[in-house]
Amino acid sequence: MVLPGILFMIVFCYIPIYGLTIAFKNYTVIDTLSSAPWVGLDNFRIIMSDKYFWDAVVNTLGISFLKLGIGFVIPIILAIMIYELNSGRFKKFVQTVSYLPHFLSWIVLGGMLITWFSTTGLFNELLLGLGIISQPQNILLDAGKYWWIATLSDIWKEAGWGTILYLAIMSKIDPTYYEAAKIDGASRMRQIWNITLPNMKSIISLNLILTVSGLLGSNLDQTLVLMNSQNREKAEVINSYVYRMGMSQGDFSYATAVGLGVSIISVILLVTANKITSKLNDNQSVL
Amino acid sequence: MFNIHRVLGQRGVKGCAALLTAVLMVTGCSGGSGGSSEANWVSIEDRYTVDPEKPAWQLDKKEEVTDLTWYVNADWWNTDFGKDIVTKKIKEDLNINIKFITGDDTKLNTFFAGGDMPDLLTVFDSNSQVVSKASTWAIPLNDLAEKYDPYFNKVAAADTLKWFQQADGKTYGYPNYSNTQADYDSGNIPAKTAFIIRKDVYEALGSPVMGTPEQFQSVMKQIKEKFPSLIPFGFNAIGGGTGSLGDALQDFIGVPLETENGEFYDRNLDEDYLTWLKTLNAVYRDGNISDDSFADDGTAFEEKVKSGKYAAMLLDGTPQQGGNLQIYMSDNEGKEYIAIDGPQSTKGHAPTLNQSGITGWMINFISKDAKDPAKAMQIFTHLLSEEGQILMNYGIEGETFKKKADGTVELLPAVKDMQLHNADQFKKDYRLGEFMFFGHDRHKALSADAFPEAIKQMQAWGKGKLTPHFILENINPNLGTAEARALSAINTKWNSTLVSMLRSKDDASFDNALAAYQSFLEENRWADIVKIRSEKMKQNKEKLGMQ
Repeated sequence: MVLPGILFMIVFCYIPIYGLTIAFKNYTVIDTLSSAPWVGLDNFRIIMSDKYFWDAVVNTLGISFLKLGIGFVIPIILAIMIYELNSGRFKKFVQTVSYLPHFLSWIVLGGMLITWFSTTGLFNELLLGLGIISQPQNILLDAGKYWWIATLSDIWKEAGWGTILYLAIMSKIDPTYYEAAKIDGASRMRQIWNITLPNMKSIISLNLILTVSGLLGSNLDQTLVLMNSQNREKAEVINSYVYRMGMSQGDFSYATAVGLGVSIISVILLVTANKITSKLNDNQSVL
Repeated sequence: MFNIHRVLGQRGVKGCAALLTAVLMVTGCSGGSGGSSEANWVSIEDRYTVDPEKPAWQLDKKEEVTDLTWYVNADWWNTDFGKDIVTKKIKEDLNINIKFITGDDTKLNTFFAGGDMPDLLTVFDSNSQVVSKASTWAIPLNDLAEKYDPYFNKVAAADTLKWFQQADGKTYGYPNYSNTQADYDSGNIPAKTAFIIRKDVYEALGSPVMGTPEQFQSVMKQIKEKFPSLIPFGFNAIGGGTGSLGDALQDFIGVPLETENGEFYDRNLDEDYLTWLKTLNAVYRDGNISDDSFADDGTAFEEKVKSGKYAAMLLDGTPQQGGNLQIYMSDNEGKEYIAIDGPQSTKGHAPTLNQSGITGWMINFISKDAKDPAKAMQIFTHLLSEEGQILMNYGIEGETFKKKADGTVELLPAVKDMQLHNADQFKKDYRLGEFMFFGHDRHKALSADAFPEAIKQMQAWGKGKLTPHFILENINPNLGTAEARALSAINTKWNSTLVSMLRSKDDASFDNALAAYQSFLEENRWADIVKIRSEKMKQNKEKLGMQ
């Protein structure tokens, strides 16, 4: 029974690893993996001196940490708020509305955002109406605001969806805990702090590990839709850079080298996050 | 060692099998085609004897239908074959059946990696590695012509063949819309760039002259006053490039193509051009260029063209916008866009508008894996001949078009009517002007029906303003080199610098953006790139016999 699984892993996960050798070669579409000439660490040396790559690293980290800092907490708060709602109908309504954006792709959402941010769009009309600005400006052309646009729009899209796991774990909490707390005179906030949150600890840790290990690999779809010539210096992330170098410029070796580097750093992040969270969970590792 | 034996013993045959499979797969993967295969030279002995005076497709007696696969590196290509009047005739004439496969660069790369190549291949980027290394995977057209179809040399343009010649003295690919000097001289190539303005706006302002920067800025102000719902000035979507504000504007005001010594000239830093960019910045600051124009993609731009949102535009690619301009014109009689002289050089240069050059557009190859290279070669000859060209553009005489006494061509009324009023059905039944692997401008000039009404005035305006840019074709550093990487960084930087300059809040930030770009050039091997480009320009001139 195990054999098909092993074979699957070998064929689709391990053999393709061989393709990573092109990071150490000067590969063109005409070559095969074996015929391309070896260049040693040349591609990595070029990466080190590439200003655009480092811009992309800074942006990836900036946007990802903003998303992590704000976007990680909001689903937890939202889940607790939904959990605390009494009315069943209102609860359903809130859940449906908050889940909805998750099901729309970035192509659709990005298109909506581009229209809303244009000079004749929703936001400019609003700001003009409120007298905050006097001249309409295309907000997406303003590089300085891009990180916030990326972060907030991502939270809008994913926060509702992120509550599902938390709501599931909360439904497993034994209601007698709350009853006992109520008899002891604990306030609602106290109940959340002492009962709800400790019970969610393991799932929060797991989520954190998964999020941290994916820090460098996220944001591609969003960036490809929202990036333009003016916000590029703040919008380009590692993934979109790899995509641009590999797909549109045909520099496969270079793109692979960047991808390999990113994978290595992601593994380090994963292990570190696991170490930290296991410390927080009485030395029990979630992975 | 003992441990390994024990482990192998425990895991037994299954483990060994998996390991073996893995090893086999790895070696299999690394094998690939590598383009080392030999061309499949089929014998035509019992089919026909070649005749330089007669195309081989008329001689070939092969009875069974030849099935060919043809990869086109464009998702939008219509893969039907043999259903419409054009491809049905080709199918009958050549006794072939073509299966088209379309895709993007990823799919193209898969063909090379997988080693199972199609018979024919069409790509677009003449600077790509696929084209520059064609000798490893394609059959030279010279050899094909000699062995199978010498008539090819009669229908192919010698200049184009020479232009695509590789280091081994052979030519592997043949493009469409390859315009030679003779084509330019004939006057049959229509201009595709124009400064256009809505007729109602132009007339309401008393047909103003707007050649100098001051006049231009002032006319834009007047447009804003009289037509507040319109955006006074627009241009092609910028995206990752420069829209029509880069080389299209440079050509429009006639920025020189080379230095006086015949070396590479940095047209982006030309004084005349920068004066005009400053003017556009002033227009922007007056509120007469919309911020959205810098963020719009192609579709958003087309929507604005279709609805007449811009009062005036510097438009590059009038044929591509022909449909949208026609839609606007049909719905808004008397308000259609017309071409006027627009911005002029402050140095007195005449426009040097560009058109498709000798490199052309789609480049067609016959791969070494072609099952029947003789048949494949016959397609090239057939489509390149006068007969093939007329068929692609106008169909069959008597069935779809008639020849007039002066030698020009006219579509029959029923066909013309369908083209105007039922474009989808027209495409399905006739597909005229669409099967253009070897299409050419000079055959478009044979008929008034080749272009939509809306752009004819623009093309007439452009007469005599075209200048070939042959010397500037394919002069970029070879891909994969440090210079090529530096150039792509520079292009990215120029793209954002141009927009920053146009959106500057004051003169100082305009100058700062420009200065930052100039120092970026110095830090990124610009001198080396200029050297390579000058060298390649020299080679171009040699190829074209200009030295």
